[in-house]
Amino acid sequence: MNLSATGESRVNGYLFVLERSLKTFLPADTVRDAVREIESHLRDRVVAADAAPNERQALERILAELGPPLRVAQAYSAERIIDEAVATGRLLPTTRAIWHMATTTAMGALIATGLFSGYAAGFSFLIIAVMKPIFPNNVGLIVVDGLPRAFGAEFPVPPNAVIYGGYWIIPISIACGLAVLALVHRATRQFLMRWRERRRLHAVTVETDR
Amino acid sequence: MSIDNWLEQLRRGSLDLAILLTASAGPRYGLAIIQHLEAFTDLVVTEGTIYPILGRLTREGLLEARWVDDEAPHPRKYYRLTPRGVRRLGEMKVEWKGLTDKIDRLMAAAEESKE
Repeated sequence: MNLSATGESRVNGYLFVLERSLKTFLPADTVRDAVREIESHLRDRVVAADAAPNERQALERILAELGPPLRVAQAYSAERIIDEAVATGRLLPTTRAIWHMATTTAMGALIATGLFSGYAAGFSFLIIAVMKPIFPNNVGLIVVDGLPRAFGAEFPVPPNAVIYGGYWIIPISIACGLAVLALVHRATRQFLMRWRERRRLHAVTVETDR
Repeated sequence: MSIDNWLEQLRRGSLDLAILLTASAGPRYGLAIIQHLEAFTDLVVTEGTIYPILGRLTREGLLEARWVDDEAPHPRKYYRLTPRGVRRLGEMKVEWKGLTDKIDRLMAAAEESKE
């Protein structure tokens, strides 16, 4: 089947949506390669197809068998992003993987919130360590009316509050921050590994009859 | 779990093996792999989602991908097994045969106990 200008436009529209969706998650070179491969698939299918009963219906059948562009993009993203995070353990791919998880399912969003909170707690300890030498009178264990209220910084310090903790809190904060980050990061990678296995089972739709 | 769900999970789990087996016959591009699976198995996959799996198997070093520009009016991406893929496929075949043998023995034992 040779595509008319309308058919070409429909194919280009599909590829455009696919490319836009993939760009949200994947590096530019991976997106180019993926779109090129899907286009190659479509061109092969179109060449082999009968334009019966008409070009439009034949083309829509081909696109339906390929799957909606958003779904194809999601399958690419799931395989790629989580793989990269698990394999490298680097912070940026891991963050992208958690974000992807959070935006894909409700359970993913819940777990991602927990993991981000863990990372935030770890970084907070490190920020305390950095701030202590700069604001020695504002950073430490904040006790208000004899009751500990927070471990962090207050600007300005409330009149009835006392800040406990000297410079010794710096190494302790650094140690706590690194320990929390290491634990959370390890838990994240283990969780992503399990998530990846689960995704592999669900990423591909195998139809019993077509 | 319904029989449909069980069957679907079984088929999904065997898809990596099916793809590696398909690629073991020689270099094939994505659509040819899909058509081969359709011709020789009832593992008919939704076409668009096989490409991410091929990408993953490539990143894992089990497949090697290469674009061929001059074979068709448009470029095609061919996949072939790497030496690591050949080794992995060998392991998977042994495991698969072992598993099916055990299940066969279990089924035979169950049939015998009925009689």
